[in-house]
Amino acid sequence: MLRKRIIFTLIYENGFFHQSRNFRLQRVGNIGWLERNYKFQSVAFSLDELIVLNASKGDKDMQKFAQTLKQLVNNVFIPIAAGGGIRSLEDAKILFDNGADKIVLNSALFQDRALVKALSTKYGSQSVVASVDYKIINNKRVVFIENGTLDTGKELQEYLEEVEQLNIGELYLNSIDQDGTGFGYDTNVVEELSKSIKTPLIIAGGAGNEKHLLEGLKIESISAVATANLFNFMGDGLPNARKKILAGDINLASFLDKSL
Amino acid sequence: MKVVIVDYGMGNIHSITSALKYIGVDEVVVSHKSEDLQSADKLLLPGVGAFNQAMKNIQELQLDTMLKNLVLIEKKPILGICLGMQLLCESSDENGLHNGLGFIKGDVRKFEIAPLSVPHVGFNQVKFPENSRLYRGLDDKSDFYFTHSFRLQSSSYINAGVCKYGEEFIASFEIDNIAGTQFHPELSQTNGLKVLENFVKSF
Repeated sequence: MLRKRIIFTLIYENGFFHQSRNFRLQRVGNIGWLERNYKFQSVAFSLDELIVLNASKGDKDMQKFAQTLKQLVNNVFIPIAAGGGIRSLEDAKILFDNGADKIVLNSALFQDRALVKALSTKYGSQSVVASVDYKIINNKRVVFIENGTLDTGKELQEYLEEVEQLNIGELYLNSIDQDGTGFGYDTNVVEELSKSIKTPLIIAGGAGNEKHLLEGLKIESISAVATANLFNFMGDGLPNARKKILAGDINLASFLDKSL
Repeated sequence: MKVVIVDYGMGNIHSITSALKYIGVDEVVVSHKSEDLQSADKLLLPGVGAFNQAMKNIQELQLDTMLKNLVLIEKKPILGICLGMQLLCESSDENGLHNGLGFIKGDVRKFEIAPLSVPHVGFNQVKFPENSRLYRGLDDKSDFYFTHSFRLQSSSYINAGVCKYGEEFIASFEIDNIAGTQFHPELSQTNGLKVLENFVKSF
């Protein structure tokens, strides 16, 4: 049976990893710090997938980000998606060459749809994750780009239907309002969208504990739950959460005990 | 132990290289040179991309003749992964009908499983064949990571592992010195590392 997934999202900005709350970033540590304090490689054995996002403002140093990516994914044996600031085929190639199995596109979905199509044609739709950030304004879900700073004026549902036409493999849906709060996912959105959206859906923004992950995994139309919460899920947090979830009747992959 | 990853210009070899090192292979070489392939204890054929382009690259580098010699005559162990597995078979209908290396009887055809979405992407379970060397030490129906739109069909005995997505399809084969996995062991956590370790030790 095709399994559901738990994904960790690491937020990178100018050489450091961050905790995000409503898209405001708080610096946590660089890669050395992450490896020392959070034993990242061993945490990764509790994950199905890893997403690494470059949220640096302004001109993003793709090469420097790629070097961190390469170091980070060494000894991480799960699919890796990376993105943030991809504006050309060359940007994407740099990430693929440094350990990414898929790329994540956000602003380009609005600003450069020809690039999205070109990437999907070149690397296959399964290699392209469409990341969409939204915020509730006047009771409407409105899409934001550029790290959540730029209002597109587009309503979420209409936007997602357009994005689906770009031959992308997955949708990564992140609620700016819930992001980093630990209050749980915006699960209402899925119920409203699931009838019109056919692409596999990853839900992000708001998970604070394993109950939230579980809540998301139980929704039929959700393929994967993501969390970027370094404080709550690193260390033993994630391995313990996965154990608890696996003990229930949830369709997740099980992996051989780490000691080979 | 020397494992040579056959380099024909396609595929993300970053994870497979680090996975082989992680399980303790002391020498991992990425090459398409005859002398490197000759000196390998095991060969690994990776691959991501289109079948016809891959075969074209392989022929241009004269890897087809080299591999036929090493695998069919000298019986050097080889593991094909994803597209690499498909290339070991007779044909594929990706972008028109094309011949593969033909070491294993079977043909690669596009999934026809509407309304399920293609490609088949994610962790899925594999039912192991009897007397498997690849899956030693793993529980039957363990999970592995797949990402593909084409799958192998064969009416011959190829000691196949079987996965189900809309229909049953061949997830792996292991005959004598030749093995292949449609899934990516290098992206399948500890389960995949075990399969790689089994290939390196038991083939």
